[in-house]
Amino acid sequence: MRKAALRLLFCVCTALLTGGLVGTTAWGKPPTDVAVIAHPGVALQELDRDTLRAIFAMRLRTWPDGHAAEVYVLANDDPVHGAFVKQWLSVYPHQLQLAWDRIVFSGTGQAPHRVRSQRDMIDTVASTPGAIGYIEREYLDERVQAISRD
Amino acid sequence: MSASKPSAGISEALSACREPFSPGIHGGHYHATGREPQRHGLLRVSPARLGLLATLVLACQAKAHASPLDTVQVHGFLSQALVITDDNNMFGDSSDSGGSWDYTELGINASIRPTENLLLAAQALSRRAGGIDNGSIELDYGIADWQLLSNTERTFGVQLGRFKNPFGFYNQTRDVAFTRPSILLPQSIYFDRTRSLGLSADGLKLYHEERINDGVIHTQLGVGQAQVDDDVEEVLGLDVLPGSFDADTSLVGQVRYEHDGGRMVFALSAASVKADYDSPGASPGDGKLDFQPWIFSAQYNAEQWSLTAEYALRDVELAGFNAFEDNKNQGESWYVQYRRRFLDDWRWLIRYDSLVNDRDDRNGNDYEREGRGPSYSQYANDWTFGLQWQPHSRVMLAGEYHHVDGTAWLPVQDNPDPRDTERSWDMWLFQLSLRF
Repeated sequence: MRKAALRLLFCVCTALLTGGLVGTTAWGKPPTDVAVIAHPGVALQELDRDTLRAIFAMRLRTWPDGHAAEVYVLANDDPVHGAFVKQWLSVYPHQLQLAWDRIVFSGTGQAPHRVRSQRDMIDTVASTPGAIGYIEREYLDERVQAISRD
Repeated sequence: MSASKPSAGISEALSACREPFSPGIHGGHYHATGREPQRHGLLRVSPARLGLLATLVLACQAKAHASPLDTVQVHGFLSQALVITDDNNMFGDSSDSGGSWDYTELGINASIRPTENLLLAAQALSRRAGGIDNGSIELDYGIADWQLLSNTERTFGVQLGRFKNPFGFYNQTRDVAFTRPSILLPQSIYFDRTRSLGLSADGLKLYHEERINDGVIHTQLGVGQAQVDDDVEEVLGLDVLPGSFDADTSLVGQVRYEHDGGRMVFALSAASVKADYDSPGASPGDGKLDFQPWIFSAQYNAEQWSLTAEYALRDVELAGFNAFEDNKNQGESWYVQYRRRFLDDWRWLIRYDSLVNDRDDRNGNDYEREGRGPSYSQYANDWTFGLQWQPHSRVMLAGEYHHVDGTAWLPVQDNPDPRDTERSWDMWLFQLSLRF
């Protein structure tokens, strides 16, 4: 009896804890396929994960040609943001947020620009020189270039 | 290639710029953040003025990217805590019934990029913490950061001005609740009672970041004048005398390795902080203070939990004074901390934190025998249990409980007579934090 109660407690705890894990991703949907996009003027067509991490952690401020890198992100709790951060950077949104806070509040860097929707994202990246961001692959169009994984 | 539509682009940029980083800079939030501390009568920046500043910055940011003004960012934070202790005082009269509200942190920063490789950033901080800080506004940091080299493999740059010292994992943003795992940082390493010593320095700092396969090595080396404020004199018992410390040239350095996007982080920090004591009279006489901490830091981060440990050795030397013999000792600090996320926006924490002032007198018996004070003032072992809830990205509520054996990090400023202290004491803290 006691064993069963313990097992039940364990299951509840596990469910609670894993609930946090899946809470931000759309439960039941197939995983979102996220494309990294850049302004057409950005010279690099492919980027490796370490460089992408440096860019989205706001530690790499310029492109190799010297132009400022303008980083655009969706809200932390946006499922597309969660999918991007996990798929492309192999980290978690709360860790990225902490990295931004540490940079912003120590004077060693700036925060990324926040956009409200994927529509805003593609429009802004298309019209801002040096811009980089991400959208679901199905929204890709010819105004931006898709960055491939090195 | 450049097939963008300018008109649509500008309107989209407008809407995008309205929401930089933590969503939106709206006057209303400034008013909301200003209200709390005013009730306790310490705030000296008027919320209306902050609101005006925010509106100006917002107006600048809302333009399409054309001038350096478009790169301006403004961020800020505010925390108000309630501290309750059964015995001993932490940040004000916390052992009185009702506790102490004397722990408030308010900061606002601005940054701008005049050119691609230059970043200017400054932060004003008002901190009220019992007898340690009175809430006056100070320049927390003010940096001109020039990146001399930046490519996909490495970054190298130099910072001029007042920079925060890279001590351990938390020092550089120690006053921002959102970057702390708990309301109080582990006091054995991040002392509040002599915080000025390690806080920041005025000078020059070089930094280098090398991106290697699956990891980053981040190196920082700074030289400059430390801030040696009254808190150091108070803790050393020199505050009753007319002399004072003047900071001398200090060195600080850190090497940090982050593996796999920060899944594992290791750091070694070291510093040499020097100050000269200038005594108008023969007692205590001119003297020197030399403070040399070493901190070893390690952290493992999983998606839902993290395990952190730091170990520090501190050499403290006082030499040349007439009034007392040269004094050199080595202090030791360490903590182990486990933190777990649950239900998305909640976190709990457990930590054991240990401090010994003098490794040759761990239980303080010699200290007491020499008549210098109670033995338990020479160590502190702190069990901490904490809970944080972040219902919104800009709001955090936190509570924590400390059970402490010893008073080695108890602020002297709040407990002027060591005989009035108790060896074993408990502390509850509650904190509301906001940021934008």
